Amino acid sequence: MVETKRKKIIIDTDPGIDDAMAIFVALQSPEVEVIGITTIYGNVYTTLATRNALHLLEIAGRSDIPVAEGSRVTITKGTKLRIADFVHGADGLGNQNFPPPQGKPIEESAAAFLVAQANLYAGEVTVVALGPLTNIALAVQLEPAFSKNIGQIVVLGGAFAMNGNVNPAAEANVFGDPDAADIVFTSGADVLCVGLNVTHQVVLTDADRDKLAQSNGRFAQYLCKILDVYFSYHHDACNMNGVYLHDPTAMLAAVVPSLFTYTEGVVRVQTSGITKGLTVLDNRKKRFDEVTGWTDKPTVKVAVAVDAPEVVKLVMQRLTDP
Amino acid sequence: MESVRSDSRVEDLSNGVVSDCSLRRQKLIIDTDPGIDDSITILMAFQTLEVEIIGLTTIYGNVSTEDASRNALLLCEIAGCPDVPVAEGSPEPLKGGRPSIPDFIHGSDGLGNVFLPPPRMKKIEKSAAEFLVDRVSEYPGEVSVLALGPLTNLALAIKMDSSFASKVKRVVILGGAFFASGNVNPAAEANIYGDPEAADIVFTSGANITVVGINITTQVKFTDDDLHELRQSQGRHTRLLTDMCKFYRGWHVKSDGVYGIFLHDPVSFTALVRPDLFTYKNGVARVETQGISVGHTLMDHGIRKWNTSNPWTGYAPISVAWTVDVEQVLTYIKKQLMKP
Repeated sequence: MVETKRKKIIIDTDPGIDDAMAIFVALQSPEVEVIGITTIYGNVYTTLATRNALHLLEIAGRSDIPVAEGSRVTITKGTKLRIADFVHGADGLGNQNFPPPQGKPIEESAAAFLVAQANLYAGEVTVVALGPLTNIALAVQLEPAFSKNIGQIVVLGGAFAMNGNVNPAAEANVFGDPDAADIVFTSGADVLCVGLNVTHQVVLTDADRDKLAQSNGRFAQYLCKILDVYFSYHHDACNMNGVYLHDPTAMLAAVVPSLFTYTEGVVRVQTSGITKGLTVLDNRKKRFDEVTGWTDKPTVKVAVAVDAPEVVKLVMQRLTDP
Repeated sequence: MESVRSDSRVEDLSNGVVSDCSLRRQKLIIDTDPGIDDSITILMAFQTLEVEIIGLTTIYGNVSTEDASRNALLLCEIAGCPDVPVAEGSPEPLKGGRPSIPDFIHGSDGLGNVFLPPPRMKKIEKSAAEFLVDRVSEYPGEVSVLALGPLTNLALAIKMDSSFASKVKRVVILGGAFFASGNVNPAAEANIYGDPEAADIVFTSGANITVVGINITTQVKFTDDDLHELRQSQGRHTRLLTDMCKFYRGWHVKSDGVYGIFLHDPVSFTALVRPDLFTYKNGVARVETQGISVGHTLMDHGIRKWNTSNPWTGYAPISVAWTVDVEQVLTYIKKQLMKP
């Protein structure tokens, strides 16, 4: 009976060090049931994302959870992908060179798996999208009813009213496939977008890492090993003694939504030019004189505030739980 | 009949006082598309002793370039400085195409449908860009430019003379929306949207530039009470200006739910003469020239070290107004306008 009350979650992910944290947080959260992982390029190439997803589930002892491999190219068939090996290491998991996983991905593609699960549990499945949105956009294109059948799509992506992290205009996940992001944001699905403006408030400090290292947390020792590279990157690029908890924060927006406040409006993505990947929200405060690209499009929710100390506390709690 | 009315009106509005247009200090060219808030600014600038207006250059925007020239000439006459040269600018943006004119904001005459009689003086022969280049070369390091419309003329001046950017003392620009919504659409502000290619050329030219975006200017408003107070004052031009503002205010109610008017242009002028009433951030700013966000202004805030070079890399930073002392700016603008 308890099982049926848990929110069903599919994690679309490109692991990635903070993806690994988010996956572990989800697996340790009684509020949710992870019913599948779909993979995508981003921090690493899609094939490595699949391998890492399988590996992480084995570390967690949850090889029962299906992994569906996602697209290797953008929705416009782009292949010049930007891989963030300088953030996450060449293997995506802090250059630890873990042995290959035993398991294999399922036959279904990520998009087909997403469509099937949304049909099977109409209105009940939440997708937590932690990478570029190609798989989700493909699901929207594959099944016109997907945007209605899916319960919610929590997107880690975008930078609202602030600089991006790939360049001044763009955040990495949206930059990875701007056309796909624009499709998802205007699909009419219940989308909650958690951007850099929120995730940059949530920092895991050096002291938190020490606490994690000293804990009996199930994944604590493992995480501390892979976190090194991630801490070094933040130290060099952002001059900070800590790391942003992008993916775990987005995960908690699905697990404990009450920690966030959001605004609602139409979001469009710039798909060309120097600001490719820019996310622009119409906050609906002004009535424009002319029809714009934002006119008459479905709205999404955009997180504007977060109880950051509580998010860090929850992440720490779940990761230090034995 | 028409010309008699014209004379008496101008005479009446200028209160018979002939202001001394030569004893002023900072040399200023105003590039403008008047425009109701442009008119407020121009008349205010003529009453500001710290600046010497050495010319107006005109541009499309609130009105067509041709109408902007007519209105600029009128404003010089109303200010009692009919000899200030008015140089007409480009009728269209760099990439061509007829600009669309928002007559529903500033009225079909650009001055809130007050329909003043035509000016007596004529525009000069030189184009705006030539005039800008000539004056700046003549007084290198001494001429400031206040740009209140799309940036076509400035971009043409920069293209015409490669030393323009280094010789101009300072360029203060009303334009853009930094980390805030635009006013043409959620991505773009009207002046930059009017000629995004020109704006990008100007922003990256290396000139000493301060940009005041609508994220700043929409914080500073004349409420209905302020407009009433102005009308009752002894200000030299406040009757005419508050007449013009009626139409402009009507649009603000419809468009923004604001019972009053935003002081876009006057705030930018204040940034020129009272820079101490603002704070600024320095960074490279670029303008998107294509796609759904065409006209979007984006500044590198400088918080992060980028892993690879990007379209912002290697350009000279500009100064972007970051905060404004709203009360003091309002007080300053009112004080200037209420001068008898």
